[in-house]
Amino acid sequence: MTTAISVSGLVKTFGATRALDGLDLEVATGEVHGFLGPNGSGKSTTIRVLLGLLRPDGGRSELLGGDPWRDAVALHRRLAYVPGDVTLWPSISGGEAIDLIGALRGGLDPRRRAELLERFDLDPRKKARTYSKGNRQKVALVAALASDAELLVLDEPTSGLDPLMEAVFQECIREVRAEGRTVLLSSHILAEAEALCDRVSIIRLGRTVQSGTLAELRHLTRMSMVVETERPADGVGALPGVHDLRHDDGRVSFDVDTDALDGVLRHLAGLGVRGLTSTPPTLEELFLRHYGDELAEDGVPVAQEAGRP
Amino acid sequence: MSSGSGTLTGTGRLFRFALRRDRLRLPVWIAVGTFMVVTQSVSSQALYDTAADLAAYRASVGSNAATIALAGPPVGLDTVAGAVAFEISATVMLIAALMAMFTVTRHTRADEEAGRTELLRSARVGRHAPLLAAVLLAALACVVLALTIGVATTASGLPAPGSFVLGASVAACGLVFTGVTAVAVQATGHTRGVYGLVGGLFAVAFVLRAIGDIEGNWVVWTSPVGWAQATHPFSDDAVAPLLLCLVVAAGLVVAGFALLDRRDLGSGLVQPRPGRPTARRGLLSPLGLAVRLHRGALIAWTAGLALLGVVYGALAESVETLIGENEQALAMFGNPDVDQLVDAYLGTTFAITALLASAYAVSAVLRARAEESGDRAEVLLATGTSRAAWLGSHVAVALAGSALAITASGLTTGLVRVAQTGEAAALGRMVGAAVSYVPAIWVVAGVAVALFGLLPRLATTVAWTAVGLFLLITMFAESFDWPGWVGDLSPINWIPTLPLEEWTLAPLVGLAAVAVALLAAGFGGFRRRDIALG
Ligand SMILES: Nc1ncnc2c1ncn2[C@@H]1O[C@H](COP(=O)(O)OP(=O)(O)OP(=O)(O)O)[C@@H](O)[C@H]1O
Ligand SMILES: [Mg+2]
Repeated sequence: MTTAISVSGLVKTFGATRALDGLDLEVATGEVHGFLGPNGSGKSTTIRVLLGLLRPDGGRSELLGGDPWRDAVALHRRLAYVPGDVTLWPSISGGEAIDLIGALRGGLDPRRRAELLERFDLDPRKKARTYSKGNRQKVALVAALASDAELLVLDEPTSGLDPLMEAVFQECIREVRAEGRTVLLSSHILAEAEALCDRVSIIRLGRTVQSGTLAELRHLTRMSMVVETERPADGVGALPGVHDLRHDDGRVSFDVDTDALDGVLRHLAGLGVRGLTSTPPTLEELFLRHYGDELAEDGVPVAQEAGRP
Repeated sequence: MSSGSGTLTGTGRLFRFALRRDRLRLPVWIAVGTFMVVTQSVSSQALYDTAADLAAYRASVGSNAATIALAGPPVGLDTVAGAVAFEISATVMLIAALMAMFTVTRHTRADEEAGRTELLRSARVGRHAPLLAAVLLAALACVVLALTIGVATTASGLPAPGSFVLGASVAACGLVFTGVTAVAVQATGHTRGVYGLVGGLFAVAFVLRAIGDIEGNWVVWTSPVGWAQATHPFSDDAVAPLLLCLVVAAGLVVAGFALLDRRDLGSGLVQPRPGRPTARRGLLSPLGLAVRLHRGALIAWTAGLALLGVVYGALAESVETLIGENEQALAMFGNPDVDQLVDAYLGTTFAITALLASAYAVSAVLRARAEESGDRAEVLLATGTSRAAWLGSHVAVALAGSALAITASGLTTGLVRVAQTGEAAALGRMVGAAVSYVPAIWVVAGVAVALFGLLPRLATTVAWTAVGLFLLITMFAESFDWPGWVGDLSPINWIPTLPLEEWTLAPLVGLAAVAVALLAAGFGGFRRRDIALG
């Protein structure tokens, strides 16, 4: 297994803010790697160091076998980048922007460009000032996906996409992986990472807190469920792995550990289930639950950090 | 206008909020407008202190089409007060119109573009409230401007009634353009479109009144600027034209509300034209993109400086009569022989044009900073484009563009002079004089590049401050007898005042060395620093 990205002990400060505080990240060639963390945890900063846009204050980083700062231009020809907040030139059309970004990287495949425009349902004639946030993001996505770059660096690429387009995006990423290309996908949506990623790294406050396959991280997750049953579901609260049981107008809602899910469902089946919704936890909830106590002990203001929009 | 109940809800709150947001901006506009009138009043009273001076002035400008085209109707020139109104009213009316345009746009279209209006409208704010609040704020600013001009001009020693009529005329022009802007913000979907539309309409109005004033006919009455100037402050003090302005302003505002009801939030009445689905080859390089981004501004600056060249050239003939008989004005030009008067005058105009070309060069360099802080540099610098190539593309446009603009100005001045004197050699002399300033302009551009590379966050503020200082130094160091080293701080002053003085090589070499050093510092700094957002 060769590595596409290898970062260790990365430090980056902005004045008094320590945005990266000894961050580690390993991405193997050919994998889709999820880069997860709550708002302000340092995902974009890490990516911008990897792109040679920011100069790190400490640590070691290697990208496609080169130094991100020193070899920036040569490395950029081999990768495609979609920024988190895509801004374009107001008077330039989406199609022109795609061609420009593609040409400066070293050309893009016109057939694939046309196909992607179709799939993302993007009108390339519109001037950027008339695009919505999601459509600007599509412009950057088409430019990146129509290239033959061996590494795709995507910073929260779906934050403005609707569910239909999110599905198209996931399809595209699977194709990219099938071609043996590498993807670094930053996100704060756990579900997206679960759908796409071979491995994930979870960071918080500029430090890596977990890294591994999703199965390895599964023990971290806890589902939120709302159930409506024919007979009262009072016994649920006593089952192992069930937390925070609340009664609410004939329904019960509670959280359940993933590894206890099977037992809970068996129990509910005997009560005559009329309705059931389950939601995976947001990343913020995950952090609060698993690291909250630990961080609070260190004097880190957890609730405030995780509650940021 | 279907202002059912509630469409104006929240106007008061929005108005107070807008007033707070503009609490520094509007006083600056008002102070600048008032200051210009007062400065004109003080300097004219000193300049034309005898009846003979005034008579010479009247004879000279009263028959000069170029001056009339720039100023207004040549009435009331038998008093100094009338001369003040003649010289300054057009400029202050432009300031009032711009103040109105920026104020109304800022609180309507710009907010809408940024999505702030959506946020407000989802709160308890009626559909018409933002526009009404913006119009009221602009109107208030115009009224305050009228009063400050009235009070300050009276205090400067001119008759009170005329001073207040002058102020009211300026305000009336501002109010009409408040109305024009209220309509324009409905018509187009983005701020720059509004500025283009309103600016263009002001230019049309200005040209119409210029034609009317030169010909002395009815065409003046087709222009709101013409109406505002028809009050003839200090001679007729007529107020009837002001009523016309008020009626038209009110009508335009009502039309603005009616159009507002016919469009969706966030869009204009006029849908933007679609662009190209694929890029032309010419766009596909950093320089191609830079040329595309700078094109509009470069054309506008070049056309503007070329036009200025025509005006300066046209004025050259009357310089002899205008200044030749006035000792103070002679001193301003460094006491040359009367023969050399025109050359001295032209030299001064080229120095001013060079300052304007430097301002363009700085704005073009700072475009790179705007691209960077607006996140648009990042996506390009993550491709195979090097930092040097990216910055170089903007700097190349700034250097070549500023040289082009000042050359255009030399060319038009030269052509006008050839037409006036019949001497073909005048063309070469004028172009040469203009081009001689290019190294100095590039040094000013270099200052901006160095700031961009080394102090990105302060670059915009510091670079414009430097341009302002160079302007002050170049214009006033000599007439105010500031020490020589102060004058040398402005690179423009390093250039001999062509065509009056001889051209020499030494300053050229010095300036080139400074420019190269500044560019090297800027590019070197940029290569080593973070790409800084915000
Ligand atoms: N240019 C900058 N100047 C100062 N502070 C910065 C700068 N860029 C980032 N920061 C700070 O560094 C920290 C990490 O920010 P970063 O943008 O990397 O977070 P993120 O994980 O991408 O968050 P999000 O999910 O909101 O995109 C934040 O506290 C942020 O405020
Ligand atoms: Mg981010």
